[in-house]
Amino acid sequence: MSRSDDVYVVGCGMHPFGRDESVTGMDMAERAVREALADAGVAWEDIGYAAGGSDVSGKPDTLVGRLGLTGVPFVNVQNGCATGASTVLAVANALRAGEATLGLAVGFDKHERGAFHVSAARYGLGDWYAETGMMLTTQFFALKTQRYLYEHGLSERALAMVAARAFRNGAHHPLAWRRKPLTEREILDSAEVSPPLTQYMFCSPGQGAAALVLALGDRAFDLCERPVKLASLAFRTRRFGSFEVFSPWLPPGPHHSPSVDAADAAFRTAEVRPTDVQVAQLQDTDSGSELIHLAETGLCGHGEQEELLAGGATDPTGRIPVNTDGGCLAGGEPVGASGLRQFHEVVRQLQGRAPGVQVPGAPRVGFTHVYGAPGISACSVLTI
Amino acid sequence: MTTRLIDESLFEDVEDVEDIENVENRAFDDGHAPRLAGARCSGCGTVVFPRQDSCPRCADGAMSTRVLPVSGRVWSWTLQAFPPKPPYRPPTGGHQPYLVGYVDLGEVLVEALLAVPRADIRIGLPVRLTTVPAYWDEDGTEVVTFAFHPERDGER
Ligand SMILES: [Zn+2]
Repeated sequence: MSRSDDVYVVGCGMHPFGRDESVTGMDMAERAVREALADAGVAWEDIGYAAGGSDVSGKPDTLVGRLGLTGVPFVNVQNGCATGASTVLAVANALRAGEATLGLAVGFDKHERGAFHVSAARYGLGDWYAETGMMLTTQFFALKTQRYLYEHGLSERALAMVAARAFRNGAHHPLAWRRKPLTEREILDSAEVSPPLTQYMFCSPGQGAAALVLALGDRAFDLCERPVKLASLAFRTRRFGSFEVFSPWLPPGPHHSPSVDAADAAFRTAEVRPTDVQVAQLQDTDSGSELIHLAETGLCGHGEQEELLAGGATDPTGRIPVNTDGGCLAGGEPVGASGLRQFHEVVRQLQGRAPGVQVPGAPRVGFTHVYGAPGISACSVLTI
Repeated sequence: MTTRLIDESLFEDVEDVEDIENVENRAFDDGHAPRLAGARCSGCGTVVFPRQDSCPRCADGAMSTRVLPVSGRVWSWTLQAFPPKPPYRPPTGGHQPYLVGYVDLGEVLVEALLAVPRADIRIGLPVRLTTVPAYWDEDGTEVVTFAFHPERDGER
């Protein structure tokens, strides 16, 4: 494939994550878009194709009323935790198909406090499942983590180390929500939610927005000194036997995850190996999820996580820096924005202008991974 | 006091079942106690719970009622520490932290409440099907649901 077929990130913008009652989801999205356009040095009128995603905070295409009624095609995406990745995929495919040479992807959300509301009927389940207290996402993450620790000989300390690193990174990141470092002891001793997971091992639904400007081929190099190539982006849904949220039953196993399929496809297409990755983003809805995803994406072997974490390998100065902005644990999880936050962080790291701690040594290969209900995953490889 | 099952479709009274493939599971020593009922695919043998009309794994098979084994082992477990939001219906006296998990029944893993002391819970613990009170209806009917409790000595 020649350079003219490749899609590049040429600008990115982000509204701080967290809680701010003075702004709406749309306000945040508008700010992220304007920042991304300014970063790319282009105007809204230059955008030839757009995609936007939000889970609960409005119809993204109505942003044209704020940004300018240019007639631009604007696709709305609602794809759970893969929303951000799906917006990027929609725009990248449109650019490759010749629809435009410059596109925009935006994601935003503003959630209520506390656990996400669920409805048994919406998941095709009987009322009994929720009435008897089994329909909670926190339980699912705990059950999956409990089994994973057991099968791979990992301890609860590994879970605490994941969260401690997230808050350490978040403390240095101007756009993160949780900016206070916590010790492993404080994390282990925080309120019990569902063992082995404690309060500080879970992220919270929050708010935020992020946007990317994407350009095709030579246009990217005209606009940007250091465009970041979208070397691959793979999106997969679950296959039979994956262990997913709200499952009254599971087959005896083995339990395949869509993350394995998505990561494998992303690495193959990019012709990059997991060991080449120098900065990574992994879905860390909770500490256990990050542990599992480290191995499912191929960044390490199953059971190796505790030693990696203890040796600092996933720190910004380590061999495979993970969630250098603090991830969902420090940023919260505005569903529509979360995936684009990952791109924002990796792009800025590869360009050598990280908002928080910069990974040293000019990293050239980045990776992003999202995973969500019920059994979807998207992974990308970004290179410079 | 009247009692009812939380959802009849989850259960089968073994004496009423004519089309049971797994005859060995009929020997349920509590007589008429309800058994969990799933469905089994005639094409690929996949067992699901609760029942459903199509197979999630293959397109070929027909699904028929499958009465599930009563004994298994804890495959994973956790505790529900905080009170869930509605539509959760707490038992009389309000929410108390409770254990949930998956029980490995061999042909299928079933998610269930675990009526096991916290000190005893562990992956691999042998457990057996039982029923526990879930909540009370407005008219005073006790609503019961399925759960698993530790396998007692002499039951195996
Ligand atoms: Zn089948």
